[in-house]
Amino acid sequence: MKERVLVAMSGGVDSSVAAALLVEQGYDVVGATMKLFCHGDDLPDRPCCSLDSVNDARRICQQLGVPHYVLNLESAFGRDVVDDFVHEYSVGRTPIPCVRCNTFTKFRDLLVKAGAIDATWIATGHYARTVNGELHRGVDLSKDQSYFLWGIDRRVLRRMLLPVGSQSKAETRAAAHRLGLELIAEKVESQDICFVPDGDHTKIIRQRLGAGAPALSAGPFVLSNGSPVGTHDGFARFTIGQRRGLPGGFREPMFVVAIRPEDRAVVIGPREELLGRGVVARGVNWLVDPPPVGARVSIQVRHRAAAAAAEIVRIDGEEIELALDEPVSAITPGQSLVMYDGERVLGGGFIEASRRSLPVRAA
Amino acid sequence: MPDPVYLDHAAGTPVRPEVLEAMLPFFGPRFGNPSSVHKWGRDARTALDEARERVAHALGASPDEICFTSGGTEADNIAILGSWRARRDAGRNAIVTTPIEHKAVLESVHAAAHEGAEERMCAMAPQGVVDVASFESLANASAAIASVMWVNNEIGTVQPIAQLAERAKAAGVLFHTDAVQALGKIAIDAKTVAFDMLSVSGHKIGAPKGVGAMFIRRGTVIEPLFHGGSQDRGRRPGTENVASVIGFARAAELAVSERDEECTRLTALRDQLESAILARVPDAVIHGRGAAKRAPHIVNVSVPGVDSESMLMALDLRGIGCSAGSACQSGSVEPSHVLSAIGVEPDLASSAIRMSLGSLSNEAAIARVAEVFPALVEKARGMARRAS
Repeated sequence: MKERVLVAMSGGVDSSVAAALLVEQGYDVVGATMKLFCHGDDLPDRPCCSLDSVNDARRICQQLGVPHYVLNLESAFGRDVVDDFVHEYSVGRTPIPCVRCNTFTKFRDLLVKAGAIDATWIATGHYARTVNGELHRGVDLSKDQSYFLWGIDRRVLRRMLLPVGSQSKAETRAAAHRLGLELIAEKVESQDICFVPDGDHTKIIRQRLGAGAPALSAGPFVLSNGSPVGTHDGFARFTIGQRRGLPGGFREPMFVVAIRPEDRAVVIGPREELLGRGVVARGVNWLVDPPPVGARVSIQVRHRAAAAAAEIVRIDGEEIELALDEPVSAITPGQSLVMYDGERVLGGGFIEASRRSLPVRAA
Repeated sequence: MPDPVYLDHAAGTPVRPEVLEAMLPFFGPRFGNPSSVHKWGRDARTALDEARERVAHALGASPDEICFTSGGTEADNIAILGSWRARRDAGRNAIVTTPIEHKAVLESVHAAAHEGAEERMCAMAPQGVVDVASFESLANASAAIASVMWVNNEIGTVQPIAQLAERAKAAGVLFHTDAVQALGKIAIDAKTVAFDMLSVSGHKIGAPKGVGAMFIRRGTVIEPLFHGGSQDRGRRPGTENVASVIGFARAAELAVSERDEECTRLTALRDQLESAILARVPDAVIHGRGAAKRAPHIVNVSVPGVDSESMLMALDLRGIGCSAGSACQSGSVEPSHVLSAIGVEPDLASSAIRMSLGSLSNEAAIARVAEVFPALVEKARGMARRAS
């Protein structure tokens, strides 16, 4: 009896090829597209989660001769992902909704659906690999998505199949052609957050919190010594390291170095003020047995950032603090801190704060 | 795998062989446009007129009271928007309807409200039947039209159409009924029941998709939604869908002539299915079961704690096709407005499965569902217990 796998299909090339490869490998594939939010009728097509994407996924499944379902996970996604997204911006952080979507929607809620249809496995089109119950970076480092997967329940790793994680994006496209999936083989990749139409995240904050929300209201630009240097129109429009939209007239390039929701201030400063020697993260989740304080790890503080060498100096329940060998730029609250041992993901957490000075291990 | 079981007849039925046979000449030798003056035109036109007579006969109407449409949705739109627009200036601005109507009615009423109509929703009894007193108080001298479906498509409850139509008539309110799920299940007779307009649809009775009809009582003025030719007395311009209309007429005739026998057969199967489910899943809730009258072909069952989406998938993967009430365009399952309107709690509503019987239903099919459905429930509950 073939083992059943539920494949999360967005209608894009990666998940379509994932499904096709699993069919080729002899699995009993069931495709599912998650309906996560509704744009209403007044928005043009989005690369993901739109009606056309659902239709593409359905047609690919028809071509593969496997069933396809549309699963309505809208209310759970709204609660676990969108509400949190809005809340994070409202407290001056820069969230990554994809992390929570993976943690809660794909690898928890969808897994329940997989259980209901006796699917042993759950598969996605992520560029990452599972190796003996551990999560590893995707082979194509330029596409590696392991950074977004640190939050899933460790036990789920043994039920996950990530068929495209062991190949390059070019190989995925080639496989799409080889497998006759011309419908989606050259589809453009989505870069935006799926529920943020036209890349303007402030719209959804306005929708949820109202136009008068503090995060969208005028506040001061200040230097780190406290002197005001201008006015901005809402701190939710800024993220650490941002240059766009800052006041001019400084001798050196200026960046957002901090966001202070309590007085709505956006703190700006020169490049060196972006540098951190330590990082604190909360909500830590481990995908391996937790390493001890003092362990040497390599960390990544944003998607596509280079890995940096660090040492764990403190673990308090779900909070962790690390000391960085070399300063790291633009450590941003709300983004993820992911700890690696080479290719292997150890765990991660949500960045709470950056430390300007080197943290030391408590005696 | 055992034979697949189709239990979604309320969504669509296969075209009956007699219907297909009746239609075939109109794709071939009798392809003419019924409006043309030549022999080919006449061949099509006479067949069309004859089909109109046969549909009229099936509904107890006169041929001139039958208007062919693309289906139930179009008929509902014409009935509501067409008659409201024709009456709005006469001091009657309100539209009376119920919250359990098909979206074709509800959205037409919303569209009229957008143009200035006043929307009035009748209260519902928990059994899924409209509250007649509420209807009577709303269908008054300021109402233009009232629309109440004959058989609810999700829970199968039968509404007291004769009574409501009388009340509407007494108040000078036009009465429309969406009878899409009633045709072939309930006796429809325009001579004895005082509805002014009625909608029916082909693909629910063994005719193709994309064809339907409406009854428009003589003297009822409607403003057409389409503009163009003079087809169908100008009520529905556009070259007639001749082949499908011929098929629809044949299907309607068959549905009416076989009604008693088929209802008896379906009622027995339905009762068998319901008691089998209740025997093994005693806490299952069958919606609308308390109604005074139910159509024989719809079973809407909720099993507390078992979500309908997972159940639909699990059933489909075992070759059993059901539905969860209404589906949105993407194909995802949406919460049912009908169940919430009759006071079903959201949790229970989100576990509703609609099984609808029809031509493909037989003892073996029902026995299989009666076996598989409870087994899936037990399995889902076992998983829920392990997870908690």
